[in-house]
Amino acid sequence: MSWSDPDRRFEPAEDVALRSELRELLGLSEAPAMPEPTPELRNLAEDLRREAERRRRTYPFRRRPSWQLMAAAVLPFVLGLGGAGAWGLAQKHRADELSQAVAQKDADMQRVASEAAASQAELARERATREQVQQQLVLANAKLGQKPSYLVVPVPKPLGPESTETLRVKAGH
Amino acid sequence: MDPQSPGQPETPFGSTPAFHTAFAELYPRLVSYARRYGATYPEDIAQEAFVILMQREERVEHPTAFLYGTVRTLALTERRPMKNQNLSLEVVLEPGHAGSAAFEQVLNQEVRERMKLLSPTFREALWLFVVEGLAIKEISEILSIPEATVKTRIHRAKAQLREQLNPPSAGGVHVLV
Repeated sequence: MSWSDPDRRFEPAEDVALRSELRELLGLSEAPAMPEPTPELRNLAEDLRREAERRRRTYPFRRRPSWQLMAAAVLPFVLGLGGAGAWGLAQKHRADELSQAVAQKDADMQRVASEAAASQAELARERATREQVQQQLVLANAKLGQKPSYLVVPVPKPLGPESTETLRVKAGH
Repeated sequence: MDPQSPGQPETPFGSTPAFHTAFAELYPRLVSYARRYGATYPEDIAQEAFVILMQREERVEHPTAFLYGTVRTLALTERRPMKNQNLSLEVVLEPGHAGSAAFEQVLNQEVRERMKLLSPTFREALWLFVVEGLAIKEISEILSIPEATVKTRIHRAKAQLREQLNPPSAGGVHVLV
């Protein structure tokens, strides 16, 4: 056989034997000898070759590997997913910052509240101490039977009409 | 611009004389193969297959299988509107439809009758293997099935042929085993 096909030239012997066996079973006569290429067939072959050349120049077969088509098909999804992911990450970052700020404010408010509570407690303690001292003073005066002494502080005379007002100041101990 | 690289042959079949010889051998076969699928213009389909083969820039490993596969696809595409892609040899099995005088000579009435009795699936593989003389690998490429399936179909066709020649009702007399 003249066709330049490796499978044709190196066909296994068992396949050749099977073919001849099947030919016998079918009752096929021997294959006719290969026809010589007539001028008409030769011209037709050349015409077809020229047509193939013309088409190859006019419409070259474009190599379109499947991975490019796949990439083109997948690209919108990848871009969409990437965009959504970036947006999500930005939102998460923003939410983290907001939650940190809120936590900081909470901590500040708690600190202020605790400081206020401490101040109030201190004030209450001071007030209680003063009350206690006052009570002790009253009790001590009552025990002595004395009126509380007052310190009389003379006030300079005003330039206007004479005043008899005096400023009474409680005497200290 | 020359699309052929220096190491590549001039045609898929080698030199120009080799291409002419292969064309003279294959063209009538491809025409009859296209006619077998009920193609309206089998010559056009066979010529188109050759043009498509030579138009390709990359090397075709099995040009014969490529041509048969292209003819089959083009013929089936032509028939597609009829929604009848059942593989059949009925057209070519009728006398006068084999496509060439050489095929008429090969396909005598007895062969036609035996082929007709085979199931269409096995007949397809058998036809390509025996009548067209294609290799198992080429047939697997044309029919887009594994080589093992091609072999199985050919062996089942062989078994059916043997049954035809040696039916079970023959009373135990085996003519061919």
